[in-house]
Amino acid sequence: MKSARTRVPRRKGSETCAMSSDIEDRTRRDEALRAVRAETALAGEKQLLEMIASGRALPDVLRALCRFFEAAAADCFCGVYPIEWSGPTFQNGVAPSLSPSYLAPVEGLPVRRDSAPCGIAAIEKTQVVVEDIDSDPYWAGSAYRAHVLTHGLRSVWSTPISSLAGHVLGTFCIYQRTPARPSPHQQALIDQITHIASIAIDRARSEAALKRSEAYLAEAQKLSLTGSFGWRVADDRHYWSDQTFRIFEYDVGTPITLRLILQRVHPQDLHLVRQVIAEAADGCAIDCECRLVTPDGSVKHVHIVANATRDRDGHVEYIGAIQDVTAHRLSEAALGKVRSELAHVARVTSLGALTASIAHEVNQPLSGIITNASTCLRMLAAEPPNVEGARETARRTLRDGNRASDVITRLRLLFTRREATTESVDVNEATQEVLALSRMELQQNRVLLRLELDDALPPVTGDRVQLQQVILNLLRNAMDAMVGVDDRPRRLVIRTERDDGRVRLSVQDAGIGLDPHGAEKLFETFFTTKLGGMGIGLSVSRSIIESHRGQLWASPNDGPGATFAFTLPAGRDDEPPARALAAARATHARDATYVGDAR
Amino acid sequence: MATRSLVSVVDDDESVRESLPDLLRELGFSAQAFSSAEEFLESDSIARTQCLILDVAMPGMSGPELQRELRQRHHRIPIVFITAHRDDPLRPRLIEQGAVDCLFKPFSETALIEALTVALRLN
Repeated sequence: MKSARTRVPRRKGSETCAMSSDIEDRTRRDEALRAVRAETALAGEKQLLEMIASGRALPDVLRALCRFFEAAAADCFCGVYPIEWSGPTFQNGVAPSLSPSYLAPVEGLPVRRDSAPCGIAAIEKTQVVVEDIDSDPYWAGSAYRAHVLTHGLRSVWSTPISSLAGHVLGTFCIYQRTPARPSPHQQALIDQITHIASIAIDRARSEAALKRSEAYLAEAQKLSLTGSFGWRVADDRHYWSDQTFRIFEYDVGTPITLRLILQRVHPQDLHLVRQVIAEAADGCAIDCECRLVTPDGSVKHVHIVANATRDRDGHVEYIGAIQDVTAHRLSEAALGKVRSELAHVARVTSLGALTASIAHEVNQPLSGIITNASTCLRMLAAEPPNVEGARETARRTLRDGNRASDVITRLRLLFTRREATTESVDVNEATQEVLALSRMELQQNRVLLRLELDDALPPVTGDRVQLQQVILNLLRNAMDAMVGVDDRPRRLVIRTERDDGRVRLSVQDAGIGLDPHGAEKLFETFFTTKLGGMGIGLSVSRSIIESHRGQLWASPNDGPGATFAFTLPAGRDDEPPARALAAARATHARDATYVGDAR
Repeated sequence: MATRSLVSVVDDDESVRESLPDLLRELGFSAQAFSSAEEFLESDSIARTQCLILDVAMPGMSGPELQRELRQRHHRIPIVFITAHRDDPLRPRLIEQGAVDCLFKPFSETALIEALTVALRLN
């Protein structure tokens, strides 16, 4: 810019020129000067705007602004002081031609009327001109006056830098070593500089806010394992966030195509994803889960949600999010495993109490077998041998052997831990099997059992053994609740019935009953009212029933005792039960009175 | 031919009611089976029974309850209890209250013969 100034033609006056000619010369010189100044200002402005547009750091741009002014207006020193309104204070100011000792105290200076002319300019939103700070009574005795004078400065002109919206972004300050006021040329430059400064500061702050927002978004995507994407279906253009690249494990910036996406999809899910893609052409909303196989062979579960929009040409474009739900799915699987293990623990803890029943159930047919075999031997050893009698006892031996075998089969099913299976289950039959194993306990506890089983009960779909575990648990709870009952019959009613498209099983006891307000607490893990109870039976039972899309609850009876019941969605009637064990089906209500001998 | 001693069997388990009388007959006894204590009490066999083989746990009246009932009616029939419950805690009390023995199912022919021998000796 200085070079531009040196290009100003300095015309030497002619010895013969007249006064008029001098005036003409001066006029021409002034015009030329104005033209050069305008040209210089335009070039400077262009250069500064280029700096801003190219994203140069704000302090660099502000320093360039100061130098531009200083070059265009002689004997001036400039400073630009952006304001942080959170303080409010002056922050990150620049004054390239003043010594660092001048700038240091300005950094962090509060924006107040008494702090500096810049403070008044910012607060009043108006230009403040201090022609001579040495004699200005307003600043007499102030620290600011001393600071300015110490640095050999006398006049201070401060102009607010305002955004288009009218917010003061900072101040532009000009100092001179002698008392002075801004000339029209200087004022025009000040107006030009504050305008460019407002663009620079505004843009820098918008960019900082955008970067901060992008950083928050990227961090949120990273934390929530959620990526965002855009997809223009017609030309297969994809716009992915960094997190989406990370989820698919492609390098950020890799040009994405459907082919690349499908390369990562689990082979068993390819069909589903292809179908989703095919439907996407119509602009259907996307909501699907699938698995990805990463380059190291591990499997990710992802949930994709996207909505379609249409551009001006009517082309479908999706904006969506993809979330890595692997941890969620794995924890669900782990929960299922824990549930299965808990159910197993509950079964095994029941095992001790059931040992007597097991021994009883096995020893009964064994007794028959041994007695029949002894009889058979004797019949064959007789003279003459009683062949017909021996045949009959052998036949009974076979029958009792099969009976023992059935008992073992039922026990194996009940006490072997295995993964949950889904099959059609006849709840009546399942209940009968559980009762067959509990006969001894019922007898010992002098329980009067009444069965009211619905003949036409539809089957349910689920895990037979898990459901039997629930029935066994409810049965044992009912027995335990009646242990101390001696003033009334220990009546236990097990009822199955249809309930509006569902199958309901209820176990009604005449025991100690329950506090209606505490009924829900019974289903909490490790909550127990029993001495030595673990408190997992009912919570596991509810967990099992809920995993079968059913409900399990407890309610006090009108009379003594409580009723525990569950409902399960009824399966289709035409589904044949997957397994029919030897236990006879009781499809009619009957009474069975077991009076125990243990007391 | 000498009159055979009558041994009555009371058990709710059908296989016992079928198999045990047959074996008893093979051993030279006369045998009758009843499915419950009540059925036995209502029968006319009580006076003739020289040994009662009695299941401990049954629906309705239990074996020990029948033992008490018979004592109250002054029937001194020797009783051999049988039970499928191996750790039956009642065993010592049953013996204490006059039972000849308490056999655990499944029991051997020898154990049965020994118990019957003792029982019939008491007659």
